[in-house]
Amino acid sequence: MKKILVANRGEIALRIMRTIHRMGIRSVAVYSEADRESPHVLFADEAVCLGPAPSSQSYLNADKIIAFAKELGVDGIHPGYGFLSENAVFAKKVEDAGISFIGPGADAMKIMGSKLAAKECVKKYNIPMVPGIDKAIEDVSLAKKIAAEIGYPILIKASAGGGGKGMRIVEKENDLKEQMERAVSEAKSSFGDGSVFIEKYVTSPRHIEIQVLADKFGNTVHLFERECSIQRRHQKVVEESPSSVLTPELRNKMGEAAVMVAKSCNYTSTGTVEFLVDDKLNFYFLEMNTRLQVEHPVTEMITGIDLVEEQIKIARGEKLSFSQEDIPMNGHSIELRVYAEDPLNNFLPSIGTLARYEKPVGEGIRVDDGYKEGMPIPIYYDPMIAKLATHGNNRIEAIQKMKDAINDYIIEGVATTLPFGTFVFDHEAFLTGKFDTHFVKKYYTPEIILDKQKEHAELAAIFALKYWLEQQKQVNPVENKSTSWKRRLAH
Amino acid sequence: MQGEKNVYKVISNGFEFSFSKEEIEALDFAKVADATFNLLKNHRSVTAKIIESDNSGKKITVEIDGQEFPVVIKDELDQMLDKMGYGASTGKHIKEIKAPMPGLVLDIAVKDGQEVNEGDKILILEAMKMENSITIQANAKIKKINVSAGQAVEKGQVLVELE
Repeated sequence: MKKILVANRGEIALRIMRTIHRMGIRSVAVYSEADRESPHVLFADEAVCLGPAPSSQSYLNADKIIAFAKELGVDGIHPGYGFLSENAVFAKKVEDAGISFIGPGADAMKIMGSKLAAKECVKKYNIPMVPGIDKAIEDVSLAKKIAAEIGYPILIKASAGGGGKGMRIVEKENDLKEQMERAVSEAKSSFGDGSVFIEKYVTSPRHIEIQVLADKFGNTVHLFERECSIQRRHQKVVEESPSSVLTPELRNKMGEAAVMVAKSCNYTSTGTVEFLVDDKLNFYFLEMNTRLQVEHPVTEMITGIDLVEEQIKIARGEKLSFSQEDIPMNGHSIELRVYAEDPLNNFLPSIGTLARYEKPVGEGIRVDDGYKEGMPIPIYYDPMIAKLATHGNNRIEAIQKMKDAINDYIIEGVATTLPFGTFVFDHEAFLTGKFDTHFVKKYYTPEIILDKQKEHAELAAIFALKYWLEQQKQVNPVENKSTSWKRRLAH
Repeated sequence: MQGEKNVYKVISNGFEFSFSKEEIEALDFAKVADATFNLLKNHRSVTAKIIESDNSGKKITVEIDGQEFPVVIKDELDQMLDKMGYGASTGKHIKEIKAPMPGLVLDIAVKDGQEVNEGDKILILEAMKMENSITIQANAKIKKINVSAGQAVEKGQVLVELE
């Protein structure tokens, strides 16, 4: 492979290009009119404009991207995450155009893209699954019967769903009919597919996922877990590896299950198998994400393996250069997603320009970002500014490094999730590792951050006042002295 | 003379404080580098930086733990001017609500002629793949609603006119 086009923007485009560059391969950036000055465009060897800012007219324009790739003699396309990364049609079109798609095959992507098809596919491998039905359901009375069998509370989920959309918790039978209708209509409007299914609602769940890596020769390994239970709006915001609750035995078991899930659909490249883990440490297969995950840096930091490099090698047709036993697990890594969101206002996007932007630096600190000081946060895309990841010899060191890094990370002009990070990393439940996906709902209120800000504001106020008063004092004596000196001269 | 009584009002990041002479004396600070200070308050050690200050020295931006705090010190004269209405106005009067970003109006929560209070939800604007509540920053009466649900709007477009 001599030239790779990265069909993405922001931090992930830049992160992928860094590896491409290091491997001695030329990189091609694509960009929308809103991103002309973005670091990923400036970093690339070549860049092409896809069109206006909205993603539908730029980063999602599959045909245009492939046409440019052909024109520029590109021999590989990396889709990053989001946008076209899990679009099986795009993956197939890329391969049909004679270009390597740096990711899984279109068939595996298609199977795992549907939660129901995924369940069907892994069924024969004895992977534990949340009790429920594995078929789309429309009949409310049948749904009532199944719900009674598995026991309330239950969860209604859209087969094509993601990001919490088309998901409804039902506590009792009386609510089932209405909630089911709402889930179907939400799934239809969000994903164009109204099929829903029913699962037992696991109370106090943790979200733990396993990173897998598979070459085209049937070699599949896992790179341990990532704990992703700290979420807001059903979206991850803090991730770490290893998880504080997995024993080596459980890690092996879940790892083996994940490898089996990958093998069940002849998976290649990097992928992530998501599990729910309940309070008794039972684990259940949730779904497989057929892409490079946002939170992959924590895995890279503890294993020392560059996942993008592996993806490129696999796409080139190389065999994995290591086996399961060779993969090291060193220390502990934590990641905080830094979003342009206001934790004081329900995590709503905070619009603005990065008036000041200074990154923390130091050993064991990694910042994956795609912005510079003075840049506006475009409103057209995901409001993530950066991923801040730290590595330490153990969990305590990694957390401490993270807290220091947050204090050294200066972002002015937009509200960010940095103060929320401080809240998490100071919280007893996080420190002891006793938390689940309800962490935010259970413990977080904006007042906690507000109180701390008020405390700091007061400190800033009293310091500024005393500093000013002392400056005044210094000015006055000098004036007195000079007048007496002048007076003396006059004599 | 200075700091003898509670004469200074200090506004920091929107919060208003006043300090007693004892409180001011109890704060200890030492310069550790250019514009960088170590503060000791109730034995707690904190680093503060002075990012900028105006000529009078009464407008100072202080940075603590990576966050900037714009501080305004108001002495007796400043406070008197404020009272007489020469200072920055505190009474808010808004004539219209503009779209803070381009987006799609999902829902409108108010009607023509309705009285609304500061913080009330006016409408929901979808942008950045998320639903954003647009609220009002002062008490007012709705004069005219210029948009309807389902309508795409540009940044700065007047959504609602107020009386």
